[in-house]
Amino acid sequence: MSVPTEDGIRDTERSGPYVSAVRWMENLNDTQFAYLLLTPVLLLLAVIAFWPLLSTFRMSLYADSLVGASALGEFVGLENYVALLTGQRDVVLVRPFLDLNAPFRSALTVTLIFTVASVFFETLVGFAQALVLDQDFRGRRWVRVAIILPWAVPIVIQGMIFFLLFQPNIGFLVTPLQQLGIFTQTPLTNAVDSVIILVVADVWKTSAFMALIILAGLQSVDRSLYDVGRVAGASRWQQFKMITLPLVLPSVLVAMLFRTIGAMRVYGIIETVSGCNTVPSLSCLVVTTFRDSRMYGTSAAVAFITAALIGIVVSVYIVKYADTEEAAA
Amino acid sequence: MATESETKQGPFSRWASSAIQDPEKAYRAMFYVATVFFLFTTLFPFYWLLVLALTPQDAIANFGFPPVPNGFNPGAFVEVFQRVPFHLFVFNSFVLGVATTAVVLVLASLAGYVFGRLDFPGRGPLMLLILAVSYFPPAAFIIPLFRLFTGNVSLLGVSSPELFNTPFAMILPFSALFMPLSIFILATFYGQIPDGLEDAARVEGTTRLGALFRVIMPLSAPGVATAGVLTFISVYNEFFFSFLMTTGEADRWAPLVWGILSYQGQYSELYNLMAAASIVGVLPVAIIVVVAQEKIVSGLTAGALKE
Repeated sequence: MSVPTEDGIRDTERSGPYVSAVRWMENLNDTQFAYLLLTPVLLLLAVIAFWPLLSTFRMSLYADSLVGASALGEFVGLENYVALLTGQRDVVLVRPFLDLNAPFRSALTVTLIFTVASVFFETLVGFAQALVLDQDFRGRRWVRVAIILPWAVPIVIQGMIFFLLFQPNIGFLVTPLQQLGIFTQTPLTNAVDSVIILVVADVWKTSAFMALIILAGLQSVDRSLYDVGRVAGASRWQQFKMITLPLVLPSVLVAMLFRTIGAMRVYGIIETVSGCNTVPSLSCLVVTTFRDSRMYGTSAAVAFITAALIGIVVSVYIVKYADTEEAAA
Repeated sequence: MATESETKQGPFSRWASSAIQDPEKAYRAMFYVATVFFLFTTLFPFYWLLVLALTPQDAIANFGFPPVPNGFNPGAFVEVFQRVPFHLFVFNSFVLGVATTAVVLVLASLAGYVFGRLDFPGRGPLMLLILAVSYFPPAAFIIPLFRLFTGNVSLLGVSSPELFNTPFAMILPFSALFMPLSIFILATFYGQIPDGLEDAARVEGTTRLGALFRVIMPLSAPGVATAGVLTFISVYNEFFFSFLMTTGEADRWAPLVWGILSYQGQYSELYNLMAAASIVGVLPVAIIVVVAQEKIVSGLTAGALKE
């Protein structure tokens, strides 16, 4: 063994950087050792997450520098935020941030509409899928594979699938939908149609995630409760309403939280299916504003508002979750 | 019995009456209908890709329902690699996935050990801090990271290395983004190893780190595999940094995202090639899902419910 034993470290005369490093590490107490092991992770997160977040916030307090070599203009405090939230900045943005007259054209409203719609339908579909997977039947393994598969499909391919499904002329889908008066002739260039398509695409891909979390909740329900329910004469529906639903509610809320966060930062699927020009989500607006127009200050403010909105949603869920946990206990 | 009719069999009235006689039968039928429905909705898009890929380009128009291939042209699957070095894009994604997984498993093992087995002041807040990272939108990081990786940030007069268009510009953000989930999965598994085993290893003379990597990690192999599979799939799935951290050339480490998008951009009329490329791109993860579905299920549920 090349690794020196504990006794060996104390007794031998061996030295060298490796031995002294080992000896130093063995002599740390638990707290010091814990922080030593966390150092690489914290360093990585500091450089890749925390510094950029603070830097984004700092940038958001400066004006856009549209001329000259420097990336940022003068310090303007919260002016960028005020301008965005009151719709004044919209004239210089690639797409408006907030335009209540055209909700499907503005980033904030389109993101909120997308989030509420997709999380709502994902919860319904995911719950139904979880109920199917909770049954015991032959071929369950393969049904589960089929349901998980969309979740593993790369976002860009998910986007390609829905891009190809809603192409005019080639589709078996667009013509009938158009005849029904639901879609326009070119749904991928129409903002309202595109948001519907994107919600469908999101539900297709990620309700499996919802289903797995809810399934875990379902399987942790004490089965003897159902026997009690049956003896007491409860119908299947009553059993579902009185036993299953309250007991899986915490899992449902957890899954909804994750999907809400995911939906609020939606970007890739939009870029592939209809483009950020048709459906400007918040993340889309950040990218187009910073990449195409180099307006760092405004872009950073949009980015920070997105992060703050997610922070608010997380806090609301945590409070709600604590309530249901208490009610269940 | 009145409640039975509330469970929506509405239109099938004849059926509903037999359902009232034998509710179990109705539930069973509902279950089969739901199963078939979900199988159809999840798998149909893949079938549509296959229909498009097999149909020759000039015959792609006005498919009826159900769509069937209009001709038979498997050559599209070959052409995909001829028009664009598609194999290189997939290879790049693989390298990025494997490298990120390696980084994540080593670093998350250290952190997972700390959170799973050690008790120390500051444990709770640190866990929250790490968790918070996975909550933030990538858009909140992108501007500073972009400037950092293009050499536009300087510290004490030294400017940051030019990492744009190199694998590092993606591996670093991927690692930070997907690390938290792995930390929580590994902390759970490491925490389940009895103290006695670690103590025995230490008495036998391993170092502290030796005990982690030689005893605890091997004993948690299922957890390590779960974290690895989920990290790899996440990287292969990722869009945001994959798209924004390279200019899109295959020989500059552009991953799958750019391979697919190059068909949408340059060959925007060649729907059969887009479909064929998508099928090729899906195959690796499809195989992983079939082989490792247990790991995926346990990892996602454990990770989510723990948090």
